Amino acid sequence: MESIKLRKITSIWIITILLLFIVSIVLGILMRLNQAGTISETPTTFYINMTTHGLTMIGIWYVAGMAAINYLMERYVKTNFTVNAIAYILTVIGVFLLWTSTFIGKFHAAWTFLYPLPFKIMWEKWATPLFLIALTILAVGWLIWSISLVTKILKKYTIAQSFAWQHFKKNPKVETPPFILISMISLVGIIACLIAAAILMAMYFAEYFSNGNFVNDALLMKNLTYFFGHTIANEMLYLGLAVIYELFSEISGRPKWKTTWYVALAWNCTLVFILTAFFHHLYMDFVQPEGLQIIGQLASYFASLPAAGVTVFSVFIAVYGTKIKWSLPNLLFFIGIAGWVIGGLGAVIDATISNNVVLHNTLWVPAHFHTYNALGNVLFSIGFFYWFANQFTENENSEKYTKYILGTLLVGGIGFLLAFYIAGADSIPRRYSNYPEELVSGAPLALMGAIFGSIYLIAILFFFFNISKRCIKIIFSPS
Amino acid sequence: MYKNYIFSVVAFCLITIANGQTVSTDLKEEENIYEKIYDAPLNIVGESSLQFHELYSTNPLLLALNFTRCSGVCNPFLLQLKESLELKDNSYNVLVLSFDSRDDLKDMKRLAESLQLDNNSQWKFATTSKIEELNQSISFFPVWDSTKSQFDHDALLVGINNEGYITKKLIGIRQGHDLDLLIASVNNIFSPTYRLPNKNALFSCFNYDPTTGKNKPGLGLLFIALPALITILILIIISLFTKRNKLE
Repeated sequence: MESIKLRKITSIWIITILLLFIVSIVLGILMRLNQAGTISETPTTFYINMTTHGLTMIGIWYVAGMAAINYLMERYVKTNFTVNAIAYILTVIGVFLLWTSTFIGKFHAAWTFLYPLPFKIMWEKWATPLFLIALTILAVGWLIWSISLVTKILKKYTIAQSFAWQHFKKNPKVETPPFILISMISLVGIIACLIAAAILMAMYFAEYFSNGNFVNDALLMKNLTYFFGHTIANEMLYLGLAVIYELFSEISGRPKWKTTWYVALAWNCTLVFILTAFFHHLYMDFVQPEGLQIIGQLASYFASLPAAGVTVFSVFIAVYGTKIKWSLPNLLFFIGIAGWVIGGLGAVIDATISNNVVLHNTLWVPAHFHTYNALGNVLFSIGFFYWFANQFTENENSEKYTKYILGTLLVGGIGFLLAFYIAGADSIPRRYSNYPEELVSGAPLALMGAIFGSIYLIAILFFFFNISKRCIKIIFSPS
Repeated sequence: MYKNYIFSVVAFCLITIANGQTVSTDLKEEENIYEKIYDAPLNIVGESSLQFHELYSTNPLLLALNFTRCSGVCNPFLLQLKESLELKDNSYNVLVLSFDSRDDLKDMKRLAESLQLDNNSQWKFATTSKIEELNQSISFFPVWDSTKSQFDHDALLVGINNEGYITKKLIGIRQGHDLDLLIASVNNIFSPTYRLPNKNALFSCFNYDPTTGKNKPGLGLLFIALPALITILILIIISLFTKRNKLE
């Protein structure tokens, strides 16, 4: 049974994440309104918002997944509260410094901060080191947290057991719960990508403080940036899936899911291939060896398709022809899986080299990653938040609003994403603060995105008030 | 048992598809840079025969390869080149060289006249008896298509400075800024587009060797694998030093 301290820190995480999420959505809507010509931001303001929006979103949904699996992991192993609290403090400090570097220092090199952009000072001089320090603090905090959870798993399971390798044989003596398997797979990937981030930061600092005596290789820096960025953006999804494997059947009143040989194989494939899928971000880099481009495409298929296959199969089997206790959390999980699969297909289309030639740096890219985040991972985490908050507070009969809230969320989310997809298919480029006249459909589709994004925000505000109210009660409850 | 076969077939199909989708051309702009061009004998329209080095030593060259019976890219390429270079300075000469052994000086003269460049001293039209060797030195390999009676080839413009080094290659019909960079390169003017060898760049993924014209893997490639290796190491260390409450 989890401790009261764990409940409280999880509640604090949830409130913080939802608050930052709302601010980030507002930044996104402002960007789309500016692209539509409805409001007029300077290009600098637009790119400040873009940088803050991207990094904050990635950060909060990563920590959302971590907070959720940390909470649920207590069912299997004892986790470390102090490390959890340190990760929270470092996250808050990191976000504060990050926002200072962007909103006050005007740093605006996008969330990818591709080398050598951070050194091409177009902002306050101190903003570059502050930005790098902020990312370092975040990476260190999250790395400690991830290693701590892996250590706790390895206290109970051997390496082979934690990866469920015994399930490749018949009648395994020890069963690795799917939650432990997927958490372990995700955490290992996260550790690798955070180490990539640490190396990247070290390289940036080395050049920054070397007075020209050390210069970086742009190809290496881009590879490391996407090793970190692409991998963490995917692993946070898998953290959400670990939660679903643990809770979906439980909430639905169905038997708990078990690890089988194909579940174990699929997730082990995911671990191996997710660490090399990032090469698909470098298709346009002619200096990247051709072999790595081919690995990028193949790894993109092998990393996503097996995990998606077994998850969809498991959910399908769980709901098909059986009586399900549908409630808001498992509906969010169910819709989230659909969003994850649809976004994943968009990603696989884009990761196919012949398609990427057409779709590269068009709005198709934000279309697919917003699909598996806004209508995928976000729903996984909000489903968990809602389930968590309702566990320890009185039922206030909020379920009666379920269909309205879900309807609003879906209408807003789908409309918002369609605006991206249609624009992407029409070759509207991404990362333009304003569209030139030649890109006729750019502005009206941006307005459509802003309107539907606002509808999505309304649904999120419901969740924020409903969940936060309950989490505040948990924080201040004596037991 | 059959799972392995299915997996192998699927993997083979995916590899084949991926391989087929990568852009594959024998001609690469980065090849032969800073290598010397072959010193071929040239027969130039309206001038006496001379060696290649006698031409580039007087003025840097932009070398355009074509053949007069071409029904494809050659004419649009030369017309566009002529138009693009009209407003540029004359710090270079343009050598239009046939790679078709059937072409003679009369053919090249007719080509110059059709382009209205026969009286332009900056443009030279020539043939050579050593085209194979010259093609080899710039990695240009036109393929004869007997059904069409045409060469299958790319439009290629090669920059040669007055020491005979290949400074830049442009594939396809290019204009504007690309030509500016090419002209700058043949005149040995610094172009920020290129990364110069730098002793302070310790962790490059690849190191370019101008003497061989090849890229060698560098220390930077190791850094890409480093996060995964460190992670494995961390897992092993944790596993070894953790007192485990074993399940069995």
